[in-house]
Amino acid sequence: MRTLRWQPIVTLLLSLFGLGVSIYLTITHFSPHALVCVSNGTFNCEKVTTSAQSEVFGIPVAMLGLFYFVPMIALCLPVAWRSTDRRVHLARLILSIVGVGMILYLLIAELFIIKAICLWCSSVHIVTFVLFVIIVTASPLVLGPESGMVTADGYDESFEGA
Amino acid sequence: MAQDQKKTVTGGNTPKPPARPGGTSNQSAKDRSRAQSRPVSGKAPAGKSGKATGAGRPKPGASGTGGGNKPRPGGRPAPVAAPRRFSGAMMAWAAVGLVIVVVAVLVVVKVATGNSAGNTSYTPVTAAPASVVKDVTSIPASVYDKVGVNFPAAAQPVSPPIKLKNQPPLSIGGKSPAMLYYGAEYCPYCAAERWGIVAALSRFGTWSNLKITASSHTDVYNTTHTFSFHGATFTSPYLTFATVEQYSNVPVSGGGYTVLENPTKEEQKVINDGQQFIPGATPNQVGFPFINIGNVALISGATYNPGILAGLSWTDIAGGLNDPTNPVTQAVVGTANYISAAVCASTKNAPASVCTSPGVEAAAKSL
Repeated sequence: MRTLRWQPIVTLLLSLFGLGVSIYLTITHFSPHALVCVSNGTFNCEKVTTSAQSEVFGIPVAMLGLFYFVPMIALCLPVAWRSTDRRVHLARLILSIVGVGMILYLLIAELFIIKAICLWCSSVHIVTFVLFVIIVTASPLVLGPESGMVTADGYDESFEGA
Repeated sequence: MAQDQKKTVTGGNTPKPPARPGGTSNQSAKDRSRAQSRPVSGKAPAGKSGKATGAGRPKPGASGTGGGNKPRPGGRPAPVAAPRRFSGAMMAWAAVGLVIVVVAVLVVVKVATGNSAGNTSYTPVTAAPASVVKDVTSIPASVYDKVGVNFPAAAQPVSPPIKLKNQPPLSIGGKSPAMLYYGAEYCPYCAAERWGIVAALSRFGTWSNLKITASSHTDVYNTTHTFSFHGATFTSPYLTFATVEQYSNVPVSGGGYTVLENPTKEEQKVINDGQQFIPGATPNQVGFPFINIGNVALISGATYNPGILAGLSWTDIAGGLNDPTNPVTQAVVGTANYISAAVCASTKNAPASVCTSPGVEAAAKSL
């Protein structure tokens, strides 16, 4: 398998940062007074975090961030990046795609519905996007035919077509 | 050859079928490749016999003679290339590019359609009706005393101000004790706090030129009905009250609100010096409202949730202030008691009728 050099540590650090901000936003969702943020016409964290769009199916978006970053941290651990189980890398890739889909929805909500931008939320969005870029561009390395990955049924695809 | 094929062979090896152009599956890749390279013609490959063996069919056993085994000049024709596919890296970067394009389109559409905040309506500032001012400035003392600092009907308790210790008395414009309010008309937390300020200070002096308005129509707790201190005056023998409504509630295109007034240098210093006492405050981001009561206590933000005023008009709010069981009354009067207690601490408990009242004394104990 080709060696990944910086991707494991960078994705892990980004996931930890994202988790930290998500925890803070979860706390401030239930205690708005705890939110420290710029407040003017365009940037208004409290307006965003208390809007109707701050919950999806009754679940605060900030908590959805927790549900995203906790497994992402596990999937971005160096041992996970070194895993020879294809399913680990597929799970990481799928999770990153789900994450970027979510931030596109939240961006539309901020720009066109709430009409305000939450800087704290934007930091999470940026982290999620960067994770997506790193994971997607590293996917050929860990999921390609030369990766030496072993499929779930034990078939070694690295020898396919030799 | 046909006769050979009809023979019945017992034991031994099964005779191989004759070689055909293109070879058979039993041949090695090398032999197949060599067979594919032979021309299909009536002439036999050059060899010792030089005899033609018939159109299209190589002579059996001819592979053992010379000529047929010689590699053809010019090499073998290149094998058919497999159809080219997009590499994984290309697809990955294409996916990233797609996301970037989508985000860029969203931003461009947003910018092109303009910030609609500039077109949003706002509540104009008008003179406060006399009845509203009277209701707020004439709350019976019994209501202040019954409410005290108990808020059973309120969804959330009223937060006490931040008590300051060992600070010199606040002086503004050479006058002391003084109290400073720093806020904005658009601000919903300022909207909530002004009700308590007006009520509290009415016990220490006289208001004039009070205005009414409402907070931003697009901000959180939108359109909270309230007063405005811009242009209002407060006169009192006990303290000086300075107000700064820095922004209006009139939105401007591109975000933000129009500027009404800026704090003086002295007032700005009071604001800046007070940030160190506010948990979570950052030097360059002062939260609205900021209220310094004689350097005895600070209020940053609202002491109660502005949501309690949602949907209520000025008359609704003011008219219910006689009822101590009303949650709005408890929030407004509770705030007023806290402010009164801090003012009393800076005025050395003057006037006594206010500062020794049960409601204010209860608030003082809670500071």
